[in-house]
Amino acid sequence: MHEITLQPMSVLADGGSHEGQLILADGQLVAVFSWVTPEETVGGLERAGGWFLEAGFGPCSGLLSTTPPVLETLDDAVTWVRGRLDNGLIPS
Amino acid sequence: MDHGVLALTNCRIANVPHATLEKITEEFPHLTRLLWLSTLIDGAIHREWLTTMGRLSATAHMAHLICELYLRLKVIGRAEGDTIQLPITQAELGDTLGLSTVHVNRVLQELRKEGLIRFQGDALTILDWERLKTVGEFTPTYLSLQNEDR
Repeated sequence: MHEITLQPMSVLADGGSHEGQLILADGQLVAVFSWVTPEETVGGLERAGGWFLEAGFGPCSGLLSTTPPVLETLDDAVTWVRGRLDNGLIPS
Repeated sequence: MDHGVLALTNCRIANVPHATLEKITEEFPHLTRLLWLSTLIDGAIHREWLTTMGRLSATAHMAHLICELYLRLKVIGRAEGDTIQLPITQAELGDTLGLSTVHVNRVLQELRKEGLIRFQGDALTILDWERLKTVGEFTPTYLSLQNEDR
């Protein structure tokens, strides 16, 4: 089981500053999530905004996930990261 | 068929049996040449899309798509000045370009902010054609739009 830690970090994404979180697995950066507004998600999946995978590394990389997810809560984001770490090459 | 086609809006379609097409190719060489031309243009568009999908940034790809759609609609008389109707959701645009809806939204905002396009409902207006072409690395040669005797 990987040790997952979160670190708040503001992200200068397209469209300006976003509240963000670095997600580390065993002390290594694997994902950057930023909080996106309902306008940015275009109400995708009927959510009122969410945590968007801004950048991912290794198993969380965009090379493995062509449509980065928007997740409702940070817990969901961590679950997604764990899923990626456990599944390796198999797309989620 | 190895694929399906879905219309985004109401549209009129015609079912042409193979036998009819065969008869046309036998009796009307001019129409046969046009069918062949249409196939060649389809091939050219697919080649262009292979490179745009793989090699352009999200912003450039969106600009390229808008340029292509604008010219294709214009050539059949469906553009009003610099404006075309684009009854497509951002989620559908995302599926078309292989982008998340978040990225589609940001890219459109970017093009808007740069003063290249304007959206009003389904109406898309091109405000700066030259810069939009530059951003999208768009050269219309592959659409074979120049008027030639066919």
